Amino acid sequence: MSVLRSQGLGKIYSTKGNVVYKALENIDLEVGAGEFVGVMGPSGSGKTTLLNLLATIDRPTSGTIEINGVNPTKLTDNKLALFRRRELGFVFQDFNLLDTLSIKENIILPLVMEGMAPKLIEQRLKSIVDMLQIGAIQEKRTYEVSGGQKQRAAIARAIIHQPSLVLADELTGNLDSKSAKDVMDALKEMNEKFKATVLMVTHDPFSASYCQRIVFIKDGKFFSEIRRGSNRQAFFQQILDALSVLGGNFDDVPFARA
Amino acid sequence: MTFRSLALSNVRGNWRSYSAFFLSSVFSVLIFYLYASFLNHPDVVNGHILGAAKVHQGMKFCLYIIIIFSFLFILYSNSAFLKTRKQEFGLFSLFGMTKSQLRKLVIYENIVIAILAIAVGIGLGILFSKLFFMALAALLGMNDTIAFAVPLRAVWITSGGFFALFLLISVWTVLRMGRTEIIDLLKASRQPKGKLVYSRWLVILTILCLGSGYGMALLMDNDSFLLLSLPVLITVVIGTYFLFTQLSIIVLQFIQKRLGFYYKRTNMLIFAQLGYKIRDNARILFVVSILSAVIMTALGAVYIMHVQGKQDLMKDSPFSLAYVEKGLHMHNVINPDELRRIVKEDGFSFENEAKVVSIGLEKYSITFDTDRSTQLGNGHIEENEYQVDAMIISASDYNKLAKEQGKPQIVVESGKLTLLYRNFNQKVFGSGKATGYINGEKIELPVSGSLDTNVMNNWIKSNILTLVMDDLSFINRISGIPEDKQRVFYGFELKNWEKAAPTVAKLNKIVSPEMERETDFGRPERYSEMSEVVSLTLFIGMFISLLFFIAAGSMIYFKLFTEIQEDQAQFKGLTRIGMTRKEIRRIVVSQIAIIFFIPCVVGISHALFAMFALDNLMNTSNWIYSFVVIGIYVGMQTIYFLLASNSYMKSMLRGSEA
Repeated sequence: MSVLRSQGLGKIYSTKGNVVYKALENIDLEVGAGEFVGVMGPSGSGKTTLLNLLATIDRPTSGTIEINGVNPTKLTDNKLALFRRRELGFVFQDFNLLDTLSIKENIILPLVMEGMAPKLIEQRLKSIVDMLQIGAIQEKRTYEVSGGQKQRAAIARAIIHQPSLVLADELTGNLDSKSAKDVMDALKEMNEKFKATVLMVTHDPFSASYCQRIVFIKDGKFFSEIRRGSNRQAFFQQILDALSVLGGNFDDVPFARA
Repeated sequence: MTFRSLALSNVRGNWRSYSAFFLSSVFSVLIFYLYASFLNHPDVVNGHILGAAKVHQGMKFCLYIIIIFSFLFILYSNSAFLKTRKQEFGLFSLFGMTKSQLRKLVIYENIVIAILAIAVGIGLGILFSKLFFMALAALLGMNDTIAFAVPLRAVWITSGGFFALFLLISVWTVLRMGRTEIIDLLKASRQPKGKLVYSRWLVILTILCLGSGYGMALLMDNDSFLLLSLPVLITVVIGTYFLFTQLSIIVLQFIQKRLGFYYKRTNMLIFAQLGYKIRDNARILFVVSILSAVIMTALGAVYIMHVQGKQDLMKDSPFSLAYVEKGLHMHNVINPDELRRIVKEDGFSFENEAKVVSIGLEKYSITFDTDRSTQLGNGHIEENEYQVDAMIISASDYNKLAKEQGKPQIVVESGKLTLLYRNFNQKVFGSGKATGYINGEKIELPVSGSLDTNVMNNWIKSNILTLVMDDLSFINRISGIPEDKQRVFYGFELKNWEKAAPTVAKLNKIVSPEMERETDFGRPERYSEMSEVVSLTLFIGMFISLLFFIAAGSMIYFKLFTEIQEDQAQFKGLTRIGMTRKEIRRIVVSQIAIIFFIPCVVGISHALFAMFALDNLMNTSNWIYSFVVIGIYVGMQTIYFLLASNSYMKSMLRGSEA
């Protein structure tokens, strides 16, 4: 059963001066339930545009998207927001945690917004927090914890409401390699134990090696696809090979922030 | 791009945050000009406007208040602006702008704003001055209008004064800018929000301060006023300050522990952020609360005095028109038919009328058994030149009048008199005796006690005091008095008596001078005199209050806008994870509402306690009337809030879409 299906997806930016820019062209993508899929491509290849379309915060100019059987482009703004809230989970590069809330409050935000009873919220929270090993920091504020802990909290928030699809955008981009490994382990565990379906955009081969399947895009078009065997080390090598074929500039890692 | 044009474009670029400050400045210039233009109006200076003396002092006082207030307001706003623009200044410094250039830039900007505010303020002032003069002329009861004029002295004082004020303050703030490292300037707006902490001792202090302040206000009376008023002021001010910095945090943490409420949809976001908003704005909220309390207390006090004055008039003179005739069928003072005709000619109608036949007690004197210090009447000295008379009425007449006037019925001891005596202390007397002449014959009658009330006007020579006698004794007495020696009290209560002063003037002309002291037509006149004073005070005070009010609101408004970028970023993130526009709106609007109305509520609470204390001091119970003023204030605050939250919401959505 597929959770996400897009057909002929395209996005054209045009300005008033009739300058047309094709950011994305004819992308077909299918993600099955419980899959862990990566999207890779050089800078300017259209990764972020694709993610924005799938995240329903941007509308495609051609093609269709179906998430869990629903075409979000047909929904009104208000329903779309509710759709995002219930069907999707997000993990961002810059964490996007609110610094006025504690870690725990940040995690349970999606459930609170849905009006779930406090008891049920606490139950859900406990199982997830235990698995991600962030129980000790849940009463802390965002500025008191490390980047890796923040990102694990963000993963908890993306998963706590059991969405159909978790979208991750360069989630290790702001982290050092040790934290990045912890975070990727956590995401993988969520994928395996909670059967969360994950679609991750990245340009980091190491993070990408956690995926089961990687789709490469270039200049807004589908380029190639590779699947992982049993060995992650071998898969990592495979990714590097694919990237060298792909070419382009991968040095778009932003400066790590303090 | 020259240096000056950079300053200009800075002002243009920061317009949104400058606008509230600018408008408040314009408003203070406008009001200052209005007062100054009246005080310097050629007709006022030459003494052509007689009533001007009544408002002269008040207006001068207001000018000083405006200047002092504007000084503080501009000082505060200026330093707040500089704080919010730290990052911008950091950037300028990074590009190599020297400190003195930076200072020059800020001063240029301030001069631009000052010139604009002064020009617009005076322009609007000139535009509205005629309207202001018209209102003033109407309130002063002038027949001719005050001519339109633009006194150059007023323009000069206003523009010169405010320009100096702006310049002085901007130089001062610029000099205080001091040395800060560029890196700190750049980082300024990205500091993390620390934990909300409170000190247990300060919380206890807050509760003690507010509790003792309010307690003292409740207990305050005439004797302790001088002793207590200052401590009340100090404790309440201190308490209010810590209420925002300390107690608010406890309250929020209490809410956050009530999971059933706190975990209810948007509540979590509202209250989690609110704590920070209150802490970051504590000083502003404190200042605004105190300002609101001052405005409401001042206006409320004037209003209550007015209500009180009207009640006193009604109590002193139960009938709007009253007089006493000597002789049952005599009309030496005025013929009641004539009075009715004149009153009706002027378009008034009668609420009720009274005609009470009574016994005159001439050259009376009353002494009391227990209270020997009090003597009413001539004190048994009949040789005094000035002699006044009292009247004795029957208990059934008293009860009839009392019923009409909504006062309690009484039972009178047989053969004894009951004294009707109103005084400031609401003191009642015990038993005593009354002496005087009835029908030329000296008599002495026992008095059983007194009541703090009256049913007939006592500003009449023949009825300085009223005594009540039981019906049987009364009939016995009066039957022995010939009809032409009996006294008759006539009372007329008009509808709309408040406006009857011109009619009273007509009636006074008819009454012959020697009979004037047998009439009391004074209530309408006294009322209109009192109303004039009150409405002038309110009129002059209103502008100042409005200025305070707008400035208070603009401080909050400005503070809101300094945080808008943070809010935009936050709500952008929330939109991505599926927060609907409606929910964002609910969060933002409820936060702004709380920020806007908390000082209002605190101010109201302070004002109510102040009113209650005022009531105690004046021995009245009118503090409930202060809700009129409070209601108006809340209404205006609501309008301000709606405008502010709308504008905030708009620019926030615009920002978070980009």
